[in-house]
Amino acid sequence: MSKQDMRTPLAKILHLGSAKSGTEDHVIQRATALAIAPLSVFAIVSVVALIGADYETARAYVGHPLISILLIALISAFVLHMRIGVKITIEDYVHSEGLKHYSLLANSFFSYGIGLACIYAALKIGFGS
Amino acid sequence: MSASQSYTFIDHTFDAVVVGAGGAGLRATLGCVEKGLKTANITKVFPTRSHTVAAQGGVAASLGNMGPDDWRWHMYDTVKGSDWLGDQDAIEYLCRHAPEAVYELEHFGVPFSRTEDGKIYQRPFGGMTTNFGEGIAQRTCAAADRTGHAMLHTLYGQSLRHNAEFYIEYFAIDLIMDESGVCRGVVAIDMATGEIHRFRSSLVILATGGYGRAYFSATSAHTCTGDGNAMVLRAGLPLQDMEFVQFHPTGIYGSGCLITEGSRGEGGYLVNSAGERFMERYAPSAKDLASRDVVSRAMTIEIREGRGVGPDKDHIFLHLDHLDPKILAERLPGISESARIFAGVDVTKEPIPVLPTVHYNMGGIPTNYHGQVLTLKDGNPDTVVPGLMAIGEAACVSVHGANRLGSNSLIDLVVFGRAAGIKAAELVTPGARQPEFKKGDGDNALARLDHFRNANGSTPTSVLRGRMQRVMQDDVAVFRTGETLEQGRKRIAEVHAAMPDIRVSDRSLVWNSDLIETLEFDNLIVQAIATVEGAVGRKESRGAHAREDYPDRDDENWMKHTLCWVDDKSGKPRVDYRPVHTYTMSNDIDYIKPKARVY
Amino acid sequence: MVQFTLPKNSKPTEGRTFKAEGAKRVKNFRVYRWSPDDDKNPSIDTFEVDLDKCGPMVLDALIKIKNEVDQTLTFRRSCREGICGSCAMNIDGQNTLACTKGIDECKGDVKIYPLPSMGVIKDLVPDLTGFYAQHASIEPWLQTKSPTPEKEWKQSHDDREKLDGLYECILCACCTTSCPSYWWNGDRYLGPATLLQAYRWLADSRDEAKGERLDNLEDPFRLYRCHTIMNCAKTCPKGLNPAKAIAEIKKMMVERQA
Repeated sequence: MSKQDMRTPLAKILHLGSAKSGTEDHVIQRATALAIAPLSVFAIVSVVALIGADYETARAYVGHPLISILLIALISAFVLHMRIGVKITIEDYVHSEGLKHYSLLANSFFSYGIGLACIYAALKIGFGS
Repeated sequence: MSASQSYTFIDHTFDAVVVGAGGAGLRATLGCVEKGLKTANITKVFPTRSHTVAAQGGVAASLGNMGPDDWRWHMYDTVKGSDWLGDQDAIEYLCRHAPEAVYELEHFGVPFSRTEDGKIYQRPFGGMTTNFGEGIAQRTCAAADRTGHAMLHTLYGQSLRHNAEFYIEYFAIDLIMDESGVCRGVVAIDMATGEIHRFRSSLVILATGGYGRAYFSATSAHTCTGDGNAMVLRAGLPLQDMEFVQFHPTGIYGSGCLITEGSRGEGGYLVNSAGERFMERYAPSAKDLASRDVVSRAMTIEIREGRGVGPDKDHIFLHLDHLDPKILAERLPGISESARIFAGVDVTKEPIPVLPTVHYNMGGIPTNYHGQVLTLKDGNPDTVVPGLMAIGEAACVSVHGANRLGSNSLIDLVVFGRAAGIKAAELVTPGARQPEFKKGDGDNALARLDHFRNANGSTPTSVLRGRMQRVMQDDVAVFRTGETLEQGRKRIAEVHAAMPDIRVSDRSLVWNSDLIETLEFDNLIVQAIATVEGAVGRKESRGAHAREDYPDRDDENWMKHTLCWVDDKSGKPRVDYRPVHTYTMSNDIDYIKPKARVY
Repeated sequence: MVQFTLPKNSKPTEGRTFKAEGAKRVKNFRVYRWSPDDDKNPSIDTFEVDLDKCGPMVLDALIKIKNEVDQTLTFRRSCREGICGSCAMNIDGQNTLACTKGIDECKGDVKIYPLPSMGVIKDLVPDLTGFYAQHASIEPWLQTKSPTPEKEWKQSHDDREKLDGLYECILCACCTTSCPSYWWNGDRYLGPATLLQAYRWLADSRDEAKGERLDNLEDPFRLYRCHTIMNCAKTCPKGLNPAKAIAEIKKMMVERQA
């Protein structure tokens, strides 16, 4: 208890008003969850199928247009889902304003960075360069 | 005064101050705010915890949603229910304004149950008839069996909408009256901090409810201690018709929790140990839907004559198990839950053990139908006390006379809560200048507070309170005799005489509930005295006041209201009487003449 | 970061013990005590209660203790029949109403604490002003724009049925104070009780301010802090399901976008 808060209870609760957002994240979170379920099955099946295969076989498999697209879909869905999940966790537990904003920023940089790198790799293999 | 030296007042000025945030208090607060009056509401519990929340069955109004109805029929029933002790001008006001008050509640958002065509659902209730006693009326507007809850929460929401100023968990200690008998304000203690607040106000509206907790077993909440009634007594004003205490036929045996009369309205019935539907004998036409005093007496007689149920043959069964479980789930879900929790009974399979239980005080602060407090002064029984109003169960308008009909209480709250707001706007100009408090104004409250705060005797409040409750339960019950009442008078006086020995253990100023309970007990004991005194005096049987030594109603000598003053220091009561208004408000209906009251 | 442990001055210590002399059937009531009048830490007092001379509910025991043993024991109570919501407290690890909680439902000692996560005013009396402000913030009253009819607003039987399970809330705060998400973000998350009330008005066929209501709720904190932990539904002493109501609000949010 450093300083006494003399605002009225209502002023505290109303805070800065409604952000009028959150539904998009909610929808994306649900939609990506829905997408990730079958896509992860595909990913697991792929990995199991490639057990023991050599580098060239694996690369050829991943480079197949259909597989490539599915892989990029999985990466995108996963990254979007992860970003929102971690964001919510930060919002839940990190309460100091400065740390919270930097954590959220770092989360976005990390998620999108990882995502871009993975997609770049998939594309690179797909286009065979 | 030494007391005032250690306390300081935090002063406020308002156009109107309402004490109590139950149905009546909230409705009056709303009314005053709407009219532009700067209004404060002082309440000892958060508004939605007021006891209106426990009202179940419904609110009476002749909407005619279920069949033909007329406010005159409602008026006839109310007059008959009151055993002709009700003031018929006030009863006319109540019944005429009931429909608009209910529509207003609906517009506020009360989630009333609905008929198939989308109107407010209405159920039958005790004593409610069509065509001046001929048929059974469906007049009681219901939100399942949680009507009071639905109303109170809705009214609270409305007061939020109008930004009413609440002082929540403030306990009102005493009124501030000037030497000419005008009410100037009220003093209250903030329970959370112990700070004393002095409210200066052009108008104080008491909506402090009944005093059911003067009895040992009551459907009333622990907080039903009639604080406003006692403040009025201490201000040297009388209470009216305090001997009329309603016993609800169906309090759950043991806990005293309420089972709504709506359960009988929906088809439930009472049986004795022989399995007999005994109400057919006592009220051949209305049967289980006779008025409450009649049913409670019948049950008491059955038990007394050895036809009670249970191992001790000391209660009665209420059957709902023949009703369609779907109907029970839709219309009586709350009491199904109460019966399960407090009696361990599945209402779809077993009967509920019930007993007549103290439920409502017909008596209270005498007022006219605008809510203005009245007193008997210089021979005028209708002398208005300036600056003071009372509404709801605290008031005695008197629309309920000697016995209130079920569902007439909720309508009383909103109609007279509304009336008080209207009258307040006529009486008070917003922001009108008020005389400054003089030195010593409010010291009466400080002295009272200080006295109990430092009470250092040897008897805890709970012991004295328990003794008072026992006396009232034993000696001022459903049936009364001169002998039991005299004994009650003596025993209550003994309890009062033991007051100087009271002990308050908690010395804190923060949430000192020991102190608050003691102030509440101090409020109860004077009302208990007034109740016994009124009952000793009234040598007839009328409505809820059943004297075995005077079994008949005596209109010649007793068609009058009891007024009782109690000196709070000595505990000495003084009784006088006030004529019943034997006229109506308008020419739209004639005075309903007394006749035998048969159901 | 959020605090996962109690601050030093809030850790309860072992308090006094009050014996019930001569009692045959005894139950121990372990009750949280704290007063702002001294600088002491909270303590847990032990009261032995003679069950043969006590009513069946936990509230009966508390009242018996207050009447006969320790008049300074402080708690809220009023209706004693589960409709006013005053005596909400944490009994035997669960938020509930003392008046409807049977003593025999508690195995072993009966442990009684104030509602979690709210400030304590004294003993079992929590500070609910923030909770009430949250309830007020959702504008809990009927809002209409059409001309008000002379009689009632019509509402079909089926539309009225949609309010069942919503309007019965008694604002006891058991659900809200049982919600971990509310513990972490009670200043910005409205909590289950308030959201249940918000949905009560959204679900009312008579209300004409649904859009504005949804606008006011659409917020990462106010609404979307609900992580469907379900403590609210589990603890509600009236058997209501605030989590379901919150899910319905989220559905409405999505519905108006697509």
